[in-house]
Amino acid sequence: MRSSCKGRWAWLTALFIAPALAQSLPERLRLCDACHGPGGVSATAGTPSLAGQPAIFLENQLVLLREGMREVPQMAAAVQGLKDAEIRLIARHYATRKPAAPRGKPDPALMKRGAALAQKRHCASCHEADYRGREQMPRLAAQREEYLEYAMNGYRSYTRKGGDTLMAAALYGASDADVKVLAYYLSRLP
Amino acid sequence: MTKTLLATVLLAATAAYAQAPAWQQGKPPAMADSKLAPLAGRNTETPAAEIPIGKLKLPKGFAVEIWATGMPGGRAMARGDSGKIYMGTRGLGRVYEVTDEGGRRTSRVVVDKLTQPAGVAMHGGSLYVFAIDKVLRFDGIEKNPDVQPVDLTDRFNLPPQQHHNWKYIAFGPDGKLYVPFGAPCNICEPPPEYAQIRRYNADGSGMEVIARGVRNTQGFTWHPKTKELWFTDHGRDWMGDKGPEDELNRITKTGLNFGYPYCHAKGVLDADFKKANACKGVTLPVTTMGPHAAAMGVIFYTGSMFPKEYRNTMFIARKGSWNRTVKFGFDVANVRPSKDGGKASVKPFMTGFLEDPKTAKFWGRPAYLLQMPDGSMLVSDEQLGAIYRVSYAKK
Repeated sequence: MRSSCKGRWAWLTALFIAPALAQSLPERLRLCDACHGPGGVSATAGTPSLAGQPAIFLENQLVLLREGMREVPQMAAAVQGLKDAEIRLIARHYATRKPAAPRGKPDPALMKRGAALAQKRHCASCHEADYRGREQMPRLAAQREEYLEYAMNGYRSYTRKGGDTLMAAALYGASDADVKVLAYYLSRLP
Repeated sequence: MTKTLLATVLLAATAAYAQAPAWQQGKPPAMADSKLAPLAGRNTETPAAEIPIGKLKLPKGFAVEIWATGMPGGRAMARGDSGKIYMGTRGLGRVYEVTDEGGRRTSRVVVDKLTQPAGVAMHGGSLYVFAIDKVLRFDGIEKNPDVQPVDLTDRFNLPPQQHHNWKYIAFGPDGKLYVPFGAPCNICEPPPEYAQIRRYNADGSGMEVIARGVRNTQGFTWHPKTKELWFTDHGRDWMGDKGPEDELNRITKTGLNFGYPYCHAKGVLDADFKKANACKGVTLPVTTMGPHAAAMGVIFYTGSMFPKEYRNTMFIARKGSWNRTVKFGFDVANVRPSKDGGKASVKPFMTGFLEDPKTAKFWGRPAYLLQMPDGSMLVSDEQLGAIYRVSYAKK
């Protein structure tokens, strides 16, 4: 899955750039699905699931990616020239897809540690008790583990821009091991 | 290695004030399970057809129309001599230029990818832009749209903390540039370069701290007659629905202390930072603006379009609360100071943005105000990236 997605970069990029504005919504969504998985449930390492994310979160992130506030090279061509109206349609589409199911059998000890860490850092205060997210705050439950770790590290190091300053503060002082355990825990929640 | 070390030092510096999320510091155990969180902004354009302008309510004789749309996150407005309006944003990192083409308005992005460029001001034909970590000046921008900015960042010695350090800026009647440096937390003992208002010469020289104990001012202006500076200041979070209320303050002389972090509103003692005689020597507000109201832009109305009773009274935009179970604000208030400026009355003027305070159902968030040459008033809506125009028709 991973290599097939990577292998598509050349034609994906070509497809995205030239006739970007002429694409219909279904065509757009097919290209999104090519990496983010059918219906936005990702089976590709490093590529997040979009299914069931709050629409405002998706909208805002797509704009930040388009504006280059969030620098993600793999997304640059995909979002180039996207109009706000198209972004809203894409966001609404993935917000209403069925979220990913958790993968793998959870280790009870690690899950317990993860729950304790999440509680200590008040994660549920914004992301909701079941971590489905709301408004500008993303769904964390059953997100891909390695992506959660990557995202948290981005906030922690101020390399992920365009958001508020809150997530850097929320993760302040978390060790690499803490971040790994949080990612393990959240990715295995239904 | 040096880079890693620098990063470590920077992180450590951040650490002192960012142990918990900055806006969550001071959250008491009783509120540990509270779901209150900052309200979501929007980064996408909202077409005029999707703005329910008909829901706005104003006193008899006033009317409101949608004046411009398509500036997501647009907040503070600065008007140039030719009538172009510049708008700052926060998360989206853009500054807009809005041009009135007679009957319709168009907009373009002047500069983007900045870190919260909320502060905009026009002075001597130049646009000044303050991001958290950058100061730019665009000379003659109204005539020369492609002008490259002069980078003034080094002149202003901006401190590194980001929280509450997005700026409102304005030039005073003395020709000086006024810049706030907010407390980098919800509640903390602020380091010496924060929780204050400073002024500079236009080139960044001659810095003076003119007020301290100011938590987070997002709007100020000068009284048309006394030339005194009046400013709004946001009260702290996580002390409950009652407040402490936001403040409307007046600077009668430089060097005053406005109380943060020990003494809030009209003498409310802080729940976390306590000391004896906490309000001693503190200048209390002229009036309070409501609990968690997010009092933002403020103007004195000096035009002749509105009825006489509004002359030299203030309008204050209240963007609306997030840290309150029942929402408050989401309006423009008319504030009438007493003759001596020692007191003021507050009355909602433009309402209807908030549809249900209990479920936090709202559609817009008024943020800043600007009086036009014809005496009408522009109101920016940060939520929908729009500007509304309030006018008065004699009957």
